[in-house]
Amino acid sequence: MNIMKVKDYCRQIKGLINRFLVDKFMLDRRWVQNHIANCPRCQRRVMLLGKVELAISLLKSQPHRLDLLMRANTQAIGVLKHSLRSATRAEMLRNVRPEPGFFERCARYKRSFANAAACIAIAFLMKASVFSSGQTFESEAGKAMKHYYASQAGEDIARDVFTTQV
Amino acid sequence: MAGRTVSIELLWDVAIPKSLEQTQGWVLCAMQRYGRELVNMLWRILGSEQDVCDAYQDTFLKLAHHEHGCKPENVKAYVFRSASNIAISILRHRVIENRHSSRIPVKSDMSSPAGELDTRNLMEALRAGITELPDHLRDVVTLHDLGDLTYEQTGRILGISAATARVYRCKAVRLLAARMRKENT
Repeated sequence: MNIMKVKDYCRQIKGLINRFLVDKFMLDRRWVQNHIANCPRCQRRVMLLGKVELAISLLKSQPHRLDLLMRANTQAIGVLKHSLRSATRAEMLRNVRPEPGFFERCARYKRSFANAAACIAIAFLMKASVFSSGQTFESEAGKAMKHYYASQAGEDIARDVFTTQV
Repeated sequence: MAGRTVSIELLWDVAIPKSLEQTQGWVLCAMQRYGRELVNMLWRILGSEQDVCDAYQDTFLKLAHHEHGCKPENVKAYVFRSASNIAISILRHRVIENRHSSRIPVKSDMSSPAGELDTRNLMEALRAGITELPDHLRDVVTLHDLGDLTYEQTGRILGISAATARVYRCKAVRLLAARMRKENT
């Protein structure tokens, strides 16, 4: 139990230190940017790091032919056992083409979905607030009536009338 | 008696291929499930379609022959690590060949704007740099940056935490930057 507490405590401290470092030393902080603007060494460092990131994004964005997956599958299946080569799934893999996933296909409808969801949420909230206002109005009106009966006809009669109604 | 033997033999003949198909069917399942991601990763590491096909073939051949056809505990981890290792060894051979052959690419003039924009040289420099990284850093770069896996997935595959994967990636980028600087001077 104590070990768990210590672990939680460590995690909290780690989180705090991390947040502090992110707050103070991120590249977009003004003092860091001022320093980089005046320090040739840091400029070179940042430039080189940026170049590596650029090279990585270039590698990622380099397109290949659409039939590459099909060709790779065909070549790989060709060296597997006969039972696997003749399987129906193997035939399907030989003709497969890279297709966007479900979420990628739905990405263009993202905005419409978001708008529709927002509309539904607003309608729901409006409906809920209308009903709750109605209930509040009813209970307040009931209290006022009870009070009126109590003042005009007496407490006992008012209690009898309103308890039998409930 | 003879009839009985024949029937048993027939049963045996039918049973073996069926069981083989059942036991090795997961190879095709893995191909179907991870093929697209693997091809993307291999393409980014190697940049040559023939090399991608060769590395992909070797990966699944290795998977099919893993411990006499037994399924690995974590197929995804096995497949991704194998593919990454095979691709890196192909890339190393290529870098060595380029270095020793007469087809050494002319070093670009990085100080000029034209040289800066020479994307091909930049990508080749990065690929060469990745082959020289220590194994633990290289694995993170290939799986996270080139394989498009998250830090959590990368950590799970390599048996490290996501935070460690993040630190390794940071170190790898620093080393790659240092190597690029050395190349430029």
